[in-house]
Amino acid sequence: MLGIASLLLIIGGVVLILSSMDKERAESTSSGNSEVATSSGIQLKKEFSPSSDEKAESTSPTPGSPEHIRIPSIGVDAPIIATGLDENNEMVVPDNGEEVAWFEPGREPGEEGNAVLAGHVDDYSGPAVFFDLEKLQPGDEITITDERDMAWTFIVDKVEAYPLGEAPIRDIFGPEQGRKMNLLTCTGLYDASAGTHEERLAVYTTMKQE
Amino acid sequence: MKKVFALFVTVVLLSSVFALEAFADNHGSDEAMVRIAHASPDAPAVDVYVNGDAVVEGAAFKDATDYMNLPAGEHEVEIDAADADGEGDPVISSMLTVEAGQAYTVAAVGMLENLDLEVAMDSMEVSDGMTKVRVGHLSPDAPTVDVGLIGGDALFSGASFPAITDYQELDAGTYDLEIRTEDGTQVLDLSGTTLEENTVYSVFAVNTAENLEAWVLTDYTAMPDEMPQTGMGGAQSGMDTMLLAGLGAMLAGVLLAGFAFNRRRSHQS
Repeated sequence: MLGIASLLLIIGGVVLILSSMDKERAESTSSGNSEVATSSGIQLKKEFSPSSDEKAESTSPTPGSPEHIRIPSIGVDAPIIATGLDENNEMVVPDNGEEVAWFEPGREPGEEGNAVLAGHVDDYSGPAVFFDLEKLQPGDEITITDERDMAWTFIVDKVEAYPLGEAPIRDIFGPEQGRKMNLLTCTGLYDASAGTHEERLAVYTTMKQE
Repeated sequence: MKKVFALFVTVVLLSSVFALEAFADNHGSDEAMVRIAHASPDAPAVDVYVNGDAVVEGAAFKDATDYMNLPAGEHEVEIDAADADGEGDPVISSMLTVEAGQAYTVAAVGMLENLDLEVAMDSMEVSDGMTKVRVGHLSPDAPTVDVGLIGGDALFSGASFPAITDYQELDAGTYDLEIRTEDGTQVLDLSGTTLEENTVYSVFAVNTAENLEAWVLTDYTAMPDEMPQTGMGGAQSGMDTMLLAGLGAMLAGVLLAGFAFNRRRSHQS
């Protein structure tokens, strides 16, 4: 009788450990990728994009402020709020785990350049809106609805994790040819003393060509 | 148990070493940003080499790269016809010196027979809510021009090939601009030019005088210094609890099993 009970406890323990490891492994794989991206001294070899007039810019409608985000593959369906920079020149994020912040001083999703959305990976009590963001795969679709109820669809290009302070801010927020949208959240271990996670996750997407 | 504890200590030590490294390595602090623009109307598609490495292949007229990171210092920039495959003499070769934390546009300008590299330092700041713009006269045979409001004042005066002007900060909005000769004759209508807030632009007049056109590049958009704080740790502590519960259960199981085994042995004896 005791033998069975101890066996059950051991199995239960292993299952719990494995499931907690699983999450860690996923994180270490993605941060492994970032090593490749950041360790090459000269980061060059960027492709030329066609100049803007070849993209029939004037004929396509202009996007409005984004209001809603849907990511079917990871079950995200959330409202978007517009935020900007605070006095420390940091991007303001929602004070809750349900909303997603849009960086309003930058671009609207669907405009040429980089639009940026940020959401929490967790709040004080558990998983938040972008908890599963690291599970996104290249090719997954993200749909933004703007203030005029127009839908804009983006396709995931790549998912990268960066150690704190090493994310390429300018690549994520800066000028870019092409209609891009980047989703940001935290990843890695939560460092309670620093009050933040040790890594940042960026999901790079490009607007779907109709 | 001692071993397990030792392992934990090692893991914790290792991760703090990595964390320190992450803070110490302030990425980008010793690098400059450079983009390359092909503004030579009759030059073929080109490859661009920096210090002998191909960084761009098959760039045509009016193609520009996005900004690339380069270590601060001196670099050799070579431009080559795309079909030359690095063989033979480059079309043009030039030394480029860049400073850490600065951004640059390197434009290949002029007709092919006297191709040149024009280097300009790009602005990476704009007052909140404003827009900033400069113009470049990159049309080899066009006369000296002004750029200004149609029927109004000139914003940029007396630009001649291959000048890139200083920036002007303006209210964001849509402007009816024109490129005109100094005597006021319009050479290109730019009405309806939208300049968005918190954005820095370069407007290059390119191609021959006969086919003059405006080429707009974005030099900067507003951005934070750091990535946002997007987590409060709630899911993380849940994860720790799970790990601890797992270890605890396993330990209890092992102890229990040992107890059962011992009991059975004492029964048998």
